[in-house]
Amino acid sequence: MFRRYLLSLALVLLASPALAHSESGVAIDFMGGFMHPIFGPDHVVAMVAVGLWGAFLGAPAIWLLPVVFPLMMAAAGAFGVLGVPLPGVEIGIAVSAVMLGTMVALAAKPPLWFAAVLVAAFAIFHGHAHGAELPVGADAVAFSMGFVVATGMLHVSGIAFGTLSRWPAGRIAVRVAGGVIALIGLAYLVRAI
Amino acid sequence: MTQLLKQLLRTAPAICLLMLATPAWAHAPVMGIRGVLGGVLHALLIPEHGASLVALGLVLGRQQQFARRSGLLIFAATLVCGLVATGLAIEAPLASDVLLVATGILGLLIAAAWGPPVLGWPLAVIAGLAFALDSAPEATSTDETIRMLIGSGIGAVAALVLVAEGAGILRADKQPIVARVLGSWIAATAILVLALRVATRMATG
Repeated sequence: MFRRYLLSLALVLLASPALAHSESGVAIDFMGGFMHPIFGPDHVVAMVAVGLWGAFLGAPAIWLLPVVFPLMMAAAGAFGVLGVPLPGVEIGIAVSAVMLGTMVALAAKPPLWFAAVLVAAFAIFHGHAHGAELPVGADAVAFSMGFVVATGMLHVSGIAFGTLSRWPAGRIAVRVAGGVIALIGLAYLVRAI
Repeated sequence: MTQLLKQLLRTAPAICLLMLATPAWAHAPVMGIRGVLGGVLHALLIPEHGASLVALGLVLGRQQQFARRSGLLIFAATLVCGLVATGLAIEAPLASDVLLVATGILGLLIAAAWGPPVLGWPLAVIAGLAFALDSAPEATSTDETIRMLIGSGIGAVAALVLVAEGAGILRADKQPIVARVLGSWIAATAILVLALRVATRMATG
């Protein structure tokens, strides 16, 4: 086990990031794309909440919500990249954290279609915000891949934590995490208003 | 399930660390490697090419053996036609965009877990042609160009067969859910890249 970690660490240290092609300080490569969604705490908590809620709801929501989110996010991101305006983006992002966090905290189990529509609607705000910030000027296949994979990994981390809800103590921990996410979202909402 | 979770938690840190590491390729991944091997690497290491092969492989992998192998043959045939056209220096500036659109549609089909042969085969034709027309190597001689194109063909067909047959074998297990998530990621990436390209063209005139 320890050897496996050592090998991983060695491989990480061997690789140096290719930051040669950057625009406004943003590396247009896989790593630049991967780090993009991670630098926004309001995005991070909402995406983790999607995973938490999916795990809480169980199959098929556990995989349906993380499938719906990136697709809607990318579609909205395309509009953001193309400069199509969307009002109230920051408010929408903050509300997404509040709503999704509250759903987890209350252990809400609405119909699947409702959860999917809610997540898709919030993905529009996240996608547009990211799209508007993406660095135009390069053929950014690797950047986009990194961006999407990071989003997916945030969902996966939420799902991983959410699976604790199978046990009574874990269920409490997950609901508390949902409450914390809702509070963080509320702080962003107050700031956005 | 608990066992699965334990395995996931054990391997997750290693996977995360490896994902954080990006290879330091300042230029194209096949810089300096030529010949048939250069062509194989060209087919596999260009991200949009790799993504298109994975997406088509997963769609074909969902189909029954006859439909799956027919799709593979259709892809191989159109790929050869396209590679011949590329060898004859026929230019297709939109091939890369067409390949991305096809990849995006394939990703959506995977995410929806729906890919009948009537859709898979035409997409195999489009992907095969666009893939080949987007594989023009930067070679200095005709011999070198032909070698690299042969390598691209071999690499693309071999990779597609591996993914499609592998997906076909795993179809009964956990593959559908993993494939759906992967499909959504592929589709999302294709949408974003196309948007970025359009925006870049608008910005640069």
